[in-house]
Amino acid sequence: MMTRPAQSQPQAADQAAAPDRSRWTAAVFVAPVVLYLLAFQFYPLAQQFYLSLTDTSLLNPSRQTFVGLENYRDILSDPEFHQALRVTVVYTLVCVAGSILLGLGAALLLDRPFRGRGIARALVTIPWAAPPVAAALIFVWLYNAQYGLVSRASQALGLSAGGFNWLDEPSFALPAILVTTLWQIFPFSAVVILAALQGVPSELREAAVIDGADRLSVFKAVVWPTIRPTVALLALLITVWSLRRFDVIWIMTQGGPLGETNTLVIDLYRRAFVYLDLGRAAAVGIVGLAVAVLVTLVYFWASRRAEAASGRR
Amino acid sequence: MARFRPFHAIAVLALLGVAAFPLYWMFVTSLTPSARLFGAAPQMLPDLAQLPVYLDALTTTSLRHWLFNSMVVAVGTTVLSLLLAVLPAYALSRLKFPGLLLLGFVLFLTQMLPEAMLVVPLYDIFARLGLLNTLLGLILANTAFTVPVVTWILKGAIDAVPGEIEEAAHIDGCSRLGIVLTVVVPLIAPTLAAAAVIAFFHGWNEYVFAQTFISDDQLRTASVGLASFVGELSTPVHTVMAVGFIYTLPAVVFYLFVQRYVVAGMTSGGVKG
Amino acid sequence: MALKLANVTKSFEAHKVIDNVDIEVGDDEFLVLLGPSGCGKSTILRMIAGLETLTSGEIHLAGNRVDRLPPSERDMAFVFQSYALYPHMTVRRNIAFPLIMRRHRWWFHLPVIGGLAKRRIERSPEVREKVERTAEMLALTKMLDRYPRTLSGGQRQRVALGRAMVRQPSAFLMDEPLSNLDAKLRTAMRAEITQLHQRVGGTFVYVTHDQIEAMTMGTRIALLRDGTLQQFGTPREIYETPANTYVARFIGTPPMNLIAAEVADGALKVGAVDLPLPAGSVHPASGKVWLGLRPGAMRLTAPGTPGALAGTVSLVEHIGAESVIGVALDGVNTAHDDDGGLTREVMVTLPGYADTRAGAAVGVAFDLAAFSLFDRESGARVGGDAARG
Repeated sequence: MMTRPAQSQPQAADQAAAPDRSRWTAAVFVAPVVLYLLAFQFYPLAQQFYLSLTDTSLLNPSRQTFVGLENYRDILSDPEFHQALRVTVVYTLVCVAGSILLGLGAALLLDRPFRGRGIARALVTIPWAAPPVAAALIFVWLYNAQYGLVSRASQALGLSAGGFNWLDEPSFALPAILVTTLWQIFPFSAVVILAALQGVPSELREAAVIDGADRLSVFKAVVWPTIRPTVALLALLITVWSLRRFDVIWIMTQGGPLGETNTLVIDLYRRAFVYLDLGRAAAVGIVGLAVAVLVTLVYFWASRRAEAASGRR
Repeated sequence: MARFRPFHAIAVLALLGVAAFPLYWMFVTSLTPSARLFGAAPQMLPDLAQLPVYLDALTTTSLRHWLFNSMVVAVGTTVLSLLLAVLPAYALSRLKFPGLLLLGFVLFLTQMLPEAMLVVPLYDIFARLGLLNTLLGLILANTAFTVPVVTWILKGAIDAVPGEIEEAAHIDGCSRLGIVLTVVVPLIAPTLAAAAVIAFFHGWNEYVFAQTFISDDQLRTASVGLASFVGELSTPVHTVMAVGFIYTLPAVVFYLFVQRYVVAGMTSGGVKG
Repeated sequence: MALKLANVTKSFEAHKVIDNVDIEVGDDEFLVLLGPSGCGKSTILRMIAGLETLTSGEIHLAGNRVDRLPPSERDMAFVFQSYALYPHMTVRRNIAFPLIMRRHRWWFHLPVIGGLAKRRIERSPEVREKVERTAEMLALTKMLDRYPRTLSGGQRQRVALGRAMVRQPSAFLMDEPLSNLDAKLRTAMRAEITQLHQRVGGTFVYVTHDQIEAMTMGTRIALLRDGTLQQFGTPREIYETPANTYVARFIGTPPMNLIAAEVADGALKVGAVDLPLPAGSVHPASGKVWLGLRPGAMRLTAPGTPGALAGTVSLVEHIGAESVIGVALDGVNTAHDDDGGLTREVMVTLPGYADTRAGAAVGVAFDLAAFSLFDRESGARVGGDAARG
């Protein structure tokens, strides 16, 4: 009991009944949420893991055989799964890079003082406030082969012939979905970066200007180092969210055409509810989760190294 | 006021145009007569004479039920999330206990679980509990995903509450629960509002569970109802867009009102890690 | 309401933050815990309040052992440095809060019902009367329905005092309550708190790093350093008979001069000067010592005056009522810290406007009417004039 580290909180206690009481308080405070998550997150997750080791079919879920790692072997040699991995990587990378670049640009625009800045900052968040299903619906309409505005515009400009169905073209479907996604999520990046920009010390910025730095140098020397940790965390959040995004993609293409928009999450859903193959679907899900966990661990490892390198904390 | 910079102004206007146009287009489309919709040139301005379309949308589709169901799910998710999250957020911020780090990690881990992945096992669980095809089932499933986020955001706000205030309350005779409820909760009210909005939006927007667990048309939520129009040809496009607009507008307006708090909450707790 | 700390020790792992502190004060005393930041004075206060636990030792208040009781059962009130007012409550509710908590029931946590119940207590004649009387004493009556953020620093401080007073506790604990105020307000509040102590009674325990506050407010001072008690006594004792060189240098502005000297054959040898030690004074038989002299006990003479130490003026500061003169002595060491570092400088304060300037050759004279002797090695007090021993 005496080996706990120094702390200044009132519950810092190494004598008498106090520490036990504090532990009980903590247990009581935390128990409901722990039980809840066990019931609705981790028990299902465990079940999913077990499913991935069986040949369960949605047609007859009660009849299942334990097949060990066979599902994993199957999907790892399945070209459809390879494609899903590739699509997921492309989708995620573009989401991260695109939303951060757009968000950074928007944030820098909205950081400068101008008349109506408050309103502009609010309006720019509209896409993020719109429900994803509604966003998907709008863009499906915008991409409509005959009457969609995108098709009409590209036709008017002579870029495509009439009746070009964007969401049905293997090389255009993923970009079309990426545009929709980026439109939805870039405001989040913008808002977060904008908040981080408030932390840039103005004296430092002014000092750099007095030292004769041009705008880009000020950005590189003063602004970027301040917001970098925030941007890194943002990148992690967007990565994790992109890896699990379902609604927009499912509604727009259901993973098609020819699997060109088939991310891991879509693949998992298709295998479960279209192919009725719960075992392999679960295996896909577990692999996807492993990827997300891995990315997160790498992030924390890298940010700790960066922190150590820059000598902070 | 700052000096007027034309390029900056144009860039800001372009940005706002990009942000707002799709919603504007949804609105315009909902107010364009079918004949013009499929005409040679698109109609760029709304035709206000078409406003009765909105009445149609409310009467000819199940939109009223869908919106009501979405509201029930969103409010339920919000209330349940906040109830569950306040105490663990306080514990994470203030109490030292074995498993503190583990709990923090577990909360973050849930952020990586795709809803689509848990659909099958949750379906199984809800089938056994008789919660399939109920709004309560959706609330329970959504809350599982919002509670960790809400907890984390609230923890960030509680971190910022000065410890001396709590100690003062302690000396004044407050129990631990008393401190949380009478001192901490009022002090983090803005963040509480932000967290509530985030949970509300999650419930309002959620699609996978609602799509999979609900079979009764009367119990569908607006997200599922709206998605059912995609690829379906019997409902006129302007009606679909009207439905979509009615579903989207309250969310956007509501968000614009509270976004200041949401941004503060997200950045203080959720993001500034 | 006597307060007693017996062998109070607190350690984090192997490190002792507070080492075996014994303090005992009688009824209605004003105890000041004084020391530099990090000396453990706040930790002791928080242990008295129950915000920190003891590793060993005991704390008694009014004859009852309290160190295992929760804070709310110790009959003490605490005034924080940051005031720690509840920002979402009015001044009235802030002051009434401890009284409301006294009647708190679990169902007060329910929304609406709890709020109504608390309001009923707040409006009950008894609580109302107590709150208003307290507010009147602190000149807060007009501000009762305002929120803390609309008050000035001094007013907030008074609300914090009010919240402490309204409980009529046996002990008031205050953690540097004036350090967030500006200099003028600090002086005013100092007097106010002293008056408050005289009016309401009870034991006051007051933490500060400011020796002026300690000397003016305290009836007893406990001077701490690195978690150990250096000296415990009345302000006068601490000033006149410091227990060691650390205390000697901590109290007084400018601090006591410590001049290298040697006791031999009943005389004190300082540089070239030999002074007979007066009869009745306490001193070791022989050995090297620090001679402790307050700056006011010395005076300047013409250079070459017999019995005076020769030196050169190095610093002249006119404060108005007095002048502070620094003199670099010729061939005599002085100590400014107990870290072993030596200089030659002594400080002399002279009344009024002293007409001298830096670089002037002077003599520094003193008689052994009021002095202290400290061991050269340990720094502990080994003697002094007859009155002080």
